[in-house]
Amino acid sequence: MKNLLRAAAAAAVTVLALTACGGGSSTDPSNVSPAGEVKPREISWLLSRPADGAVINIMTKLADDYAKDHPGFKLNLITTPDRPSYIQKLETLAAANKLPELFDTDATPFAQQLAKQGKMVDADKLLKTLDLYDDYRPGALDYQRFDDGSLFMIPFQFELEFIWYNKALLEKAGVAVPKSLDDIPAMCTSLRNAGITPIAIDGQDQWPLERYVAYQPFREAGPDFVQKLKKGEAKFADAAGQKTVNWMAELGKAKCFQEGFSAQGYSDAQNQFTSGQAAMYNIGTWELPSLATDKLNPAVRDDIDFFTLPTTAGSATSANEFVSPSGIGMAVNSKTYDPLVSDFLKFALQKYPAEYAATGALSPTTTVETTVPANATPLYRKALDQAKDLGSKQAMPWDTQLDPTTNGRLQQELVLLVQGNITPGQFTETMDNTVKQNAPKFFK
Amino acid sequence: MQPNRMLPNRSRTSVLVFLLPPLLLYGAAVLFPILQSLFLSFFSWNGISDMEFVGLDNYVRMFVADDIFWRAFLNALLYLAICLVLQLGGALLVASLLTSLRRGRELIKTLYLLPAIISTVAIAFLFVRIYSIDPVGLLNQLLHWIGLGSLERPWLSDVNTVLAAVSAPEGWRFTGLYMLIIYAALIAVPKELEEAAVLDGASRWTLFTKIRFPYIRPVWITTTIMATTYGLRGFDIPYLMTNGGPGQSSELLTTYMYKTAFTSTDFGYASTISVFIVVECLVAVGLILFLLKRKAES
Repeated sequence: MKNLLRAAAAAAVTVLALTACGGGSSTDPSNVSPAGEVKPREISWLLSRPADGAVINIMTKLADDYAKDHPGFKLNLITTPDRPSYIQKLETLAAANKLPELFDTDATPFAQQLAKQGKMVDADKLLKTLDLYDDYRPGALDYQRFDDGSLFMIPFQFELEFIWYNKALLEKAGVAVPKSLDDIPAMCTSLRNAGITPIAIDGQDQWPLERYVAYQPFREAGPDFVQKLKKGEAKFADAAGQKTVNWMAELGKAKCFQEGFSAQGYSDAQNQFTSGQAAMYNIGTWELPSLATDKLNPAVRDDIDFFTLPTTAGSATSANEFVSPSGIGMAVNSKTYDPLVSDFLKFALQKYPAEYAATGALSPTTTVETTVPANATPLYRKALDQAKDLGSKQAMPWDTQLDPTTNGRLQQELVLLVQGNITPGQFTETMDNTVKQNAPKFFK
Repeated sequence: MQPNRMLPNRSRTSVLVFLLPPLLLYGAAVLFPILQSLFLSFFSWNGISDMEFVGLDNYVRMFVADDIFWRAFLNALLYLAICLVLQLGGALLVASLLTSLRRGRELIKTLYLLPAIISTVAIAFLFVRIYSIDPVGLLNQLLHWIGLGSLERPWLSDVNTVLAAVSAPEGWRFTGLYMLIIYAALIAVPKELEEAAVLDGASRWTLFTKIRFPYIRPVWITTTIMATTYGLRGFDIPYLMTNGGPGQSSELLTTYMYKTAFTSTDFGYASTISVFIVVECLVAVGLILFLLKRKAES
């Protein structure tokens, strides 16, 4: 038995040693124009996007077009739309050093470690070499950047997040569109008194509630707050931190969110809003096809409007600065980067924006005009126009910023805070301790 | 050495040869990962970083410095208790009633077994709907109809009810399976023993405690061990229904381990938790054997 144990332990060491060795061999990530001949082969893109969404449909079509001139080429798209499952897959493949040619990731601390190890191609240089860099909206690229300003992911979307509201329900409760974030708790109380659910939220996926905790600090202290918070240089105990903690507790006390929200999913929340039960719904332009076209329930269609993130008194950021993400980005594996991958990217990235804008979505570039679909309501155009007048700062979703352990704990504690199960004091202490324990491992 | 004499030498060798492949498979699929976890639990490793040997640091952190670990451990024990009561208690009750049924046994057996063959994801979604309050789900609607409207609540968002709410589907799901096993044992109890006891004036309860239960004890031990180890490894239903929330109210050791590995990318510490789960299962099985054997001897 002893020998068996010893043998197994030795085998475990060998396997681990082998995987560790494999990690070292990667090519120069800043070499964006590899020399040599384009040899068509099959390449893969591991992605986390809706299976029949615009990005996948367009890239499949572009890959087919490219294959016509390059027989033998094939783009293999492996999508896992469920984000937690996707991240698990990505991390496992990264640990085994088996990432495919192209893979999706947000600008997370984990991705930054991959970049630091030279496993991703420098997207800044890549886009500049392809002469496409200046086509991109600065905000779309900024969203993909790591803290140090480096760029390793290429965006395929550009979205704006608004607070959609039902005019008729606000009128019924006798409340106006909030001028300040601080008006929202009182607004919720009035809506509740009129028998209306103030805000519909998808609690199950956790990121929607996490958006709210980012709003007050973004207005109070600007985009730097979360950058400092995640490294432990700023605290929830600080003024801007306390403001958001107390505000979240107030939102809970005023019963802003539907009862039992933590177990309700994406479509539950959307249904509550589109069926006229909930007065407000915070979501991005990716939902324009269901919120600003004739697909929307006719009973509420004329009552729906949106407002952008309200400011506060003495706000450090302006009204035209809010959450404007460019979605999960695509990274290029430096180990498998060769003339073929380079040539295909050049082909696809040049043609992508026009095709994407034709589907009615906002392109991450400024080179094309979005086509408003024939069945759109006037709100569709109004929403798109917001992209023309954006400030230079944007509110980053915290789930892409914090280290994963702190992020998980924050998502859990936020529900407790909003449900009134813990006090703002307890929340502050727990979260500041969590950051202190976990941040050093990720932000050395 | 009675058994040896029954097998000639050559066939003993062939038995060993035939036993070897499954043993190797078991070693590769079960023992090796456990040993690998044990090995990894002494390291700090996020999958892409260099592995750093940290000795017992992970164990110290788990036992001393991690409030979520203890919370998850207690939750897991409570989850186990609820599952066991529903699965074993429910199974024994239904199986006993079945034996006294004259007609329709097959139908009832099939109906009880049905949940065990439905996919976990379907069950999780089904119960999310049943517990819902907005729109009103089955449970809250029933409470309302029978006049217990004051008990209506969002069962999965209330920190006091969520753990029981996620345990119940798992318990309900496998009741039928254990019922089937116990039922098979119960109908094997010799009829003449029971009839003799009845002639001697034994009550139904005495009949059960003195004749039937001692007779099915070996099967009972096996089912208890099965149910306990399954309960300790419970993961999918709580993970799908609440993802451990709200807060850590329905976090189990298994869901916490999963998150530590795949969300926090702390593979070393996750391995430490998995080693704890393995030890916990072994201890639980040992305890069950010890308690039930001692009872049988007394």
